[in-house]
Amino acid sequence: MEQLLNIPAILAIAFAGSILVFVTHLVLPRLRTAVVLLLTLVPAYLVWQLPVDSPMVYFSLGGFDLSWGTNPYSRLFSLLIAGIGVLSTIYSLAFMKNKARLGFFYLAFLATIAAMYGIVFSQDLLSLFFFWEIMTWSSFLLVIYYRFENQQAGIRYFVFSAVGAYALLTAIVYLYSFTGDLSLAATFRVIPQLSTTQLSWITVLFLLGFGVKSALMPMHVWAPDAYRSAPSPFTALFSGVLSKMGVFGMGLVLFKFMGGLEPGHIIREVLAWMGGITALLGTFYAVFQTDAKKLLAYSSIAQLGYIIVGLAIGTPMSVMAAIFLALMHGIFKSMLFMGVGSVFHQTGSLDLNELTGLIRRMPLSFVTVLMGIITVAGVPPLGGFVGKWLLYESLITSNHYFLVIVLFTSSTAAFLYLYRLIFSIFLGQEEREFDHIKEVSWVMWVPMLILAGMTLVTGILPGIFFGPIAEAMQYLGFPQIDWQMSVLFNPWGNQVDMLSVITSIATVFLLGLAFITWKNFRTTRYVTTKDIHTSGEMPTENENLTYAIDFYRPFERAAAPIFKYKVTRMYASFAENAEHLFDLLRHVYTGNAQTYALYVVIFLVILIVFSGWIFGIQI
Amino acid sequence: MNPNINDKDSRKIVDIIQSYAQKHSLWVLAYGTGCGAIEIPPTMTSRYDAERFGITGRPTPRMADVLLITGYLATKTLKRVIRSYEQMQSPKYVIGFGSCTINGGMYWDSYNTIKSLDHYLPVDVYINGCMPRPEAVISGFVKLQEMISNGTANGWEKYRDNLDLYRSQQKEVIKNWQMPDYNW
Amino acid sequence: MSFDWIKLLGFIVTPLIASAVGFTYMGLSRKITARVQNRIGPGISQSFIDVVKLYSKKTAINHGLMQHMGPVFAITASITTLLFLPVIKDSIFFANFSFRGDLIFLIYIMVFGQLGMALGAGQTGNPNSAIGVSRGLSQMVGFKVPYVMALVAIMIHAKSTNLQEIIAVQDGFRNWMVFQMPLASLAGLLAYLGYMGYAPFDVPFAPAELASGPPSEFGGKYLALMMTSRSIFTFAKLVLFVDVFFGGASNFIELLIKTFLLYLFALFVGLVNPRFRTEQSIQFWWKWPTAIGALALLLVAWKG
Repeated sequence: MEQLLNIPAILAIAFAGSILVFVTHLVLPRLRTAVVLLLTLVPAYLVWQLPVDSPMVYFSLGGFDLSWGTNPYSRLFSLLIAGIGVLSTIYSLAFMKNKARLGFFYLAFLATIAAMYGIVFSQDLLSLFFFWEIMTWSSFLLVIYYRFENQQAGIRYFVFSAVGAYALLTAIVYLYSFTGDLSLAATFRVIPQLSTTQLSWITVLFLLGFGVKSALMPMHVWAPDAYRSAPSPFTALFSGVLSKMGVFGMGLVLFKFMGGLEPGHIIREVLAWMGGITALLGTFYAVFQTDAKKLLAYSSIAQLGYIIVGLAIGTPMSVMAAIFLALMHGIFKSMLFMGVGSVFHQTGSLDLNELTGLIRRMPLSFVTVLMGIITVAGVPPLGGFVGKWLLYESLITSNHYFLVIVLFTSSTAAFLYLYRLIFSIFLGQEEREFDHIKEVSWVMWVPMLILAGMTLVTGILPGIFFGPIAEAMQYLGFPQIDWQMSVLFNPWGNQVDMLSVITSIATVFLLGLAFITWKNFRTTRYVTTKDIHTSGEMPTENENLTYAIDFYRPFERAAAPIFKYKVTRMYASFAENAEHLFDLLRHVYTGNAQTYALYVVIFLVILIVFSGWIFGIQI
Repeated sequence: MNPNINDKDSRKIVDIIQSYAQKHSLWVLAYGTGCGAIEIPPTMTSRYDAERFGITGRPTPRMADVLLITGYLATKTLKRVIRSYEQMQSPKYVIGFGSCTINGGMYWDSYNTIKSLDHYLPVDVYINGCMPRPEAVISGFVKLQEMISNGTANGWEKYRDNLDLYRSQQKEVIKNWQMPDYNW
Repeated sequence: MSFDWIKLLGFIVTPLIASAVGFTYMGLSRKITARVQNRIGPGISQSFIDVVKLYSKKTAINHGLMQHMGPVFAITASITTLLFLPVIKDSIFFANFSFRGDLIFLIYIMVFGQLGMALGAGQTGNPNSAIGVSRGLSQMVGFKVPYVMALVAIMIHAKSTNLQEIIAVQDGFRNWMVFQMPLASLAGLLAYLGYMGYAPFDVPFAPAELASGPPSEFGGKYLALMMTSRSIFTFAKLVLFVDVFFGGASNFIELLIKTFLLYLFALFVGLVNPRFRTEQSIQFWWKWPTAIGALALLLVAWKG
C-alpha cells in the first residue's frame, strides 16, 4: 500500500516543494537554502528507493484515465534526473547566492525537475503531454531569467517548443482516434493493428515533438541561445537532463511504437542520417564559437546527434550505446557547464578570446573541465570512450559505413573545440587581470568533482551502467543482452578489456610521473608564463602574448567552401521570404466584417471535413 | 648528483656516458647578431656538414646546449643574448665567434658595441678571425668537445657561482634592466 | 591463473626494443637525409646520443603541473598503444595485451598522448606552441577522414575489428591488404604520411617559423621523455600500418624490413617535397584520398 502511494507522493512533494520554496523565499529567506536542499533530496531519495517495477497508479480526470508507474526504462532516466538534479541544485546554492528573484528561480528549477519526474513516470499519453508542457513552461521561465537581454532566445525556445508540443498533441489525438484510450499499455496493444502509413505519420509527428527538445538538426536553432542564456546551474540540468527527455520519448516511440516497422525502415535511416548530420554540423559550428557556453551548446547538439544515431539504427548494441551515451552525456555535459559556470561566476566572462591562464587560480575547475573534455573526446580510459566504441562498432557491424565516417569525422573535429575550450580558459598566458581570481567554494566544486569521478568509474567499470540499461532494453522489447562489468564486445566477438587498459595507462603514467618528478628534483624550477622563448625579448606585463582570436583560422580557411552557405544566412533568407509571405497575408485583413464572417464559415467547413477525415465521423 | 663530476678519478660509468653524449651532441642556438651569421649556413650545409660531429641547430634556447654568438654585440642586443643564455638548460656553453666578441674587432671604438663578451657571459671557446671560415668554426666546436670530455668546459658553473659579478658588469652597460631573476 | 614470467618480461622489454628501433630509424633517417643532400651526416647512433645528452641535462624548467605531465601523457599513450599491438604474429613474448587489440580503441588511445602534449604545450603560454597545436589538430581532422575510411573498409572486409584477426586474413603474400584492397590501402597510406608528420605535412612543427611549435618550451628531461615517447610512437605507428596493410610480420627480421621500408616511404616523400600550408594539406586530404577511400567503401558495400 505504501508503494502504491509513492509515485503520486513523490510528484506531489516535488511540485508542492517548488511552491513551498517560493513561499519560503517570501516569508523566511534565511531558511531558503535548507528548504531547497531538503525538497530536492527527499524526492530524489524517494525516487531512488522505488522498486524497478512498481505497479500502476490510476486516476480518473475529466473522463480520461491517468496512470503512473515505473519500469526499468523510466527508472534509468528517473535516476539520471535525481542524480544530476540534486548535484545541480547543490551547485546552484552557491552559484545563485545574492542573485535577485531567487524564489522565482527555485520555483522554476524545482518545477522543472518535478515535471521531468512526471514525464518518466507517466504511463499514459495525456499525463506525458501535461508534464511535458509544465517542463517547457518552467524551463522557459529560466531561459528568460536574466530578463531583457534574453528575450530573443526565450521566444525562439518557446516557439520551437510550441511547434514540438503541437506535433505531440496532434500525434496523441490522432492515436486516440484509433484507441479511444490514452494509456500506454492500450496504445501498445493497438499499434500492431495500424497500417504502416498511419504508423509512419504517428511516428514522424512524435519524433518531431521529441526531436525539438533534443535539438535535432533542423529544429536545433533554439538551443545555442537558450543554453547560453539560462543561468549555469540550470544549463547543466537543461543540457544534461532535460534534453534527455527527448531521447527518452524517442526511445519509447522508436521501439514501442515502431515495433511494427522493420529495422531498415526509411524513417529509421532518415533519422539516423539526421542524427549524423547533426553531429557533424554541430561540431563544426562549435569549432568557431568564441563564447564558452555557446560552444558547449553546439557540442551538446552534436552529442545528441550521436545518441539519436544509436537509437535510430536500432540494433541491440547501438541502442545500448545510445542509452549509455545519453547517461554519459548527462554526466559530462552538466559537469562541463558547471565548470564553465564556475569560471563565469569568478571572472564574469565567458569570452574565450578574453579569458586566459586560470589553471593555477582555479585548479579544481580545471580538473573538472579536463575530465569533461577527455570524456567528450571519447579518449580512454574515461567513460566517453565506452559509448563511442559501442556506437562505432555497432555501426560497423550493422553495415552503416558512411554514417560511421561522418561520426568519426565529427568526433575528430571535436578535439578542435574541446582543446580551444580548455586552452583558452585555463592554459596559456597568465594575465595580471586574473591574479585575484580564487577557486569557487566547496559547494560548487564538490558536485563537479563527484561527476568527474563518475566519468572515471564508468570508464573502468562500465558494467554498472550496462546492467540497468540491459533491463531497460528488455522493457523496450529487446532480447536478453549479455554484458560484462569491464569488457566491451561487439557482435563479431571482438573485445576491449577496460581493466587491462586502465592497468596499462595507470602503471605507465604513475611510473613516468614518478620518474620525471624524481629526476633533477632539486634543479627543476617553476617559471612564469612570461618567461618564454620570444627570441630573447622580455615581454612586459602589458604585452599580450595570448593566442586566442581566430584560433582555428587555417581550419576555417580549409572548410570555407563547405560553409559557404551558413545556416544563419539560410535563416535570414527564410525570414525574408516569410516576411514577403506575411505581407501577402496582410491583405486577408480587409477590415470588412462580412469578409471575416466568410472566413469563419470557411474555417468551420474545413474543420468539419478535416475531422471527418481524421476521426471517420460521418457527416 | 656527484659534486666532483669533473674530477677524473671519481668519475663513474654514468658520468663517462653522460660526458660522451654531451660531447657528441651539441645543439646550437645560433644567435645571428652580426655579419658572422653568414658563415653558419655553409658550416651546417653540404659543403662543411657540421652535423657529422653531432652539431645541429635548434630553434629555441630551451633545447639548445651551445650559444653561438656570431659577431659584434650592440648593447641592445646584449640584453637579448643574456636572456637567451639564461633560458638555456645547464650544462650549456658559449662560443664567441669572430674578433668582435674578443676585443670589439673593427668596432673597437664604437660607442654602443660591447668590446669583450667575456665580461658579460662565460665564454668557453673563442673562434678568432674576421670572418672565421667554416673550417675554423668546426675547429672551434671540436675544441669545445675536447673541453667537455676533459671537464674544462664549465663556463655555466662559473656563471652560476659568480652571478653577482656578472650581473653588476651586465647592469653597467644595460641601463633599463627589467629581467626576471636567474633561477638556477 | 598462473603468473607468466615471460609475459611480464614482454611488457618490460617490448617498449625498450620499440624505443631502440625507433631511435635507430631516426638516426638512419638523419643519415639518409644527409646523403640525399650530399652530406656525410651523423652516425646512426646520433639519436641515442642526443637523448642521453638530454637526460643528462642538469636543470629543467616548467610552467606548471600540466607542462610537467605533458610528456608523461605522451609516453603513456605510446607505450599503451604498443602494448595493444600485435608486434609479431603469434609471438607470446610480444603479445602483451594484443589479443584485445581493437582498431577503434587504438585510434582513440593514439590521440591520448597528442592531447596530453597539446595540454602541456598549452600551459607554457608560448604563442608558438598554441599555433602549432592549432595547426596540428586542424591537420588531424584532415587526414583522419581518409584514414578512418580505409580502416573501416578493411574492418568490414575482414569482418573483424581485432588486429590479430585482420592479420590472420592476410595470410600469404597475395592476401596482403595492399593487394586485396588496393584503394583502401592507397587512402590509408596517404593518410599515413600525415600521421608521420614529415614534409609536406610538417607545418605544425615548422622549426624556422614556429620555433618548432608545441615543444618549443620543453627542454632537458622533458624533451628527453618526449623524444623517447616519439621513438616508441613512431615504431608503434609503423607496426600498426604494417599489421593493417602489409600482413604483419612473423619474425623480427621481417618486421624490421617492412617497417623500415614503410618508414623510408614517408621519409622520401618528405625529402623531395616542400611544405604545405595547413589549409592546403587539409584540402589535399579531403579531395583525392577521401574520394579514393569513399570508393573503397562503396566497393566493400557493393561486395556485401
